[in-house]
Amino acid sequence: MEKIMRILFLLICTTLWTLSSGDTCVNPVVKSEVYTTTETQMSTQTVVIVDFELTCSNKPQDLHLYAEFNGRTVPASKTTNSNKYQVSFTGEHKKLPGGHYVVRFFDDDLYSELRKAQRSSDDTSSVKTLFNINVSHQGASAGPWVSTEHVAALAAILVWYLAYTTRSQLQS
Amino acid sequence: MRSLFVVFAVFCVVLGDNENAQLLASKTILNQYAVENKDLTVEYQIYNIGGSAAIDTQLVDKSFPESDFEVVHGNLEVTWQRIGPGYNVSHVVILRPKKSGYFNFTSAEISYLPSETAKEPQLGYTSAPGEGGIVSFKDYDRKFSSHVLDWSAFAVMTLPSLGIPFLLWRSSKTKYEGIKAAKKAA
Repeated sequence: MEKIMRILFLLICTTLWTLSSGDTCVNPVVKSEVYTTTETQMSTQTVVIVDFELTCSNKPQDLHLYAEFNGRTVPASKTTNSNKYQVSFTGEHKKLPGGHYVVRFFDDDLYSELRKAQRSSDDTSSVKTLFNINVSHQGASAGPWVSTEHVAALAAILVWYLAYTTRSQLQS
Repeated sequence: MRSLFVVFAVFCVVLGDNENAQLLASKTILNQYAVENKDLTVEYQIYNIGGSAAIDTQLVDKSFPESDFEVVHGNLEVTWQRIGPGYNVSHVVILRPKKSGYFNFTSAEISYLPSETAKEPQLGYTSAPGEGGIVSFKDYDRKFSSHVLDWSAFAVMTLPSLGIPFLLWRSSKTKYEGIKAAKKAA
């Protein structure tokens, strides 16, 4: 009797556990493509686009993905046709200088752990992720530091100055 | 006093009766200049101002014909399984205009289920950025490129008018100083 109760209890627990959470991904394999803004004239804000294709060995039917970048967490969008996902982030140019960034991805369970850590003000970087994607941002440039016409003007002034001083020396 | 109470009651009803999800969507072009054959950054932002999560939110943008725009990064048809109440998502697509001229940037379409039990999807449109001009690459380059080649050509062209008098002076100077030194030695 006690054995049957124990088995029944375990069965109920596992059923509840599988029903309560979304699917998880076993052995995630990610193929990603990252784009970041390179010219400030082409975008008033720096954007980061991460397109990726995810394959899991257990082929989950109902996988929810969340991405975290620079402290902001968003749900991942899925393209209508295939198992390709996209996450996008925008920010001011000053707040996203060139450098290396990491986008962390969570499934439902890991995301709830992240939320728990955020609520109790714990260190969110210690929460385990499903996988990470590295972003190498070369920085959004507003053009060269010194424009060529300024260089040309300076060179012209320099030549004139040399000629003038030489002439003054000769005439003195 | 009574009218104030009525206004307050209406306000409460309008705000409080938001059990379902309600999405507001905007579409903006982030470029300062839209240039032919250069990146065009299109940002979509979806805000859920309702009281529950929006399920299966689909964003479809059919306003960029294949003949005029090329999708470089991102996707024009995406789905979010769940957008929580009070949350917002942003979506960015990078396009490349194939032609220059005026283009009317129109709205994209969104559809979502306002609650978990809803059967009929709610349809809506994003805001439209309106008509904008796509500058031709030639004009943009003439105004904004660094023109290094042009300036180098200019420097080479000024070389004869500066160089020839300088060389003449130089040769006569060295000749004169040579004569002077010879005279002194003698």
